[in-house]
Amino acid sequence: MSAAHATAPKTPTAPARKPSGFPLGFYRYRNYTIFAFTSIPMAISLACLVIGVGALGQGEEAWQAWLARQATPAFRAVHLFCLAFTLYFAIRFGWVGRKIGAGRIGPLPPPPLPLPLLGIAPIGGFVTVWLVLVVILGGWLS
Amino acid sequence: MKLIHKLEPLWWILFGAGAFVLCFVLPALILGVLVLGDSSLMADGLSYERALRLASNPIGKLFLIVVPTLGFWHCAHHFRHLMLDFFGHAAAPIGAYGGYGLALLGTIVTVSTVLAL
Repeated sequence: MSAAHATAPKTPTAPARKPSGFPLGFYRYRNYTIFAFTSIPMAISLACLVIGVGALGQGEEAWQAWLARQATPAFRAVHLFCLAFTLYFAIRFGWVGRKIGAGRIGPLPPPPLPLPLLGIAPIGGFVTVWLVLVVILGGWLS
Repeated sequence: MKLIHKLEPLWWILFGAGAFVLCFVLPALILGVLVLGDSSLMADGLSYERALRLASNPIGKLFLIVVPTLGFWHCAHHFRHLMLDFFGHAAAPIGAYGGYGLALLGTIVTVSTVLAL
């Protein structure tokens, strides 16, 4: 690097600022923000599940008491709130995933399926696994 | 924050893996255990003996370690960026150290809880 180049002043740039309407004033920003916010309800659900595993390890009485506590109105409201955001996260994750296929248009081969199918396929896979897991948890086949 | 930035690929691996795992299992776990766990629908499936049998076999233990652990790291990374989006770079250390610190705590608690089964 030449001395003249090294001492050249940096190009002045404006400080970073949020786009107009961020975070909730425009639907694309809103979707993005809600998607990031899902981390909080999902972490709450995971913590509840780990506490449940702890109760399971403490014996039958603790397990039944923990299960009964989850059915109280306050806990149920929290779980339904978390479930709504978790579903939003999963469906959006699957739907956004179709753009990975779209990104390959160009020098690489185009996606093997129409784009909506590329979005529906992972969501269909998620729903199938959810059903299988609920059936296993419920012991409905045994 | 230098170390946090240096480890960015690690956070991204945990974030991506966590997202993938959560999409596949978390809605079912919330619905099946947290929402319907005490109902008659799940009474047989989540009886103490069966639940303990499911959770304490090697595959069950692996499942119960992998899902919450990756999930916590996923949530931590998303939380870090949520803090950045709302509060700017001033909140970056809180988002990073707070989020990843809680994920580390969650990992330790999860692993010790599951291994104690």
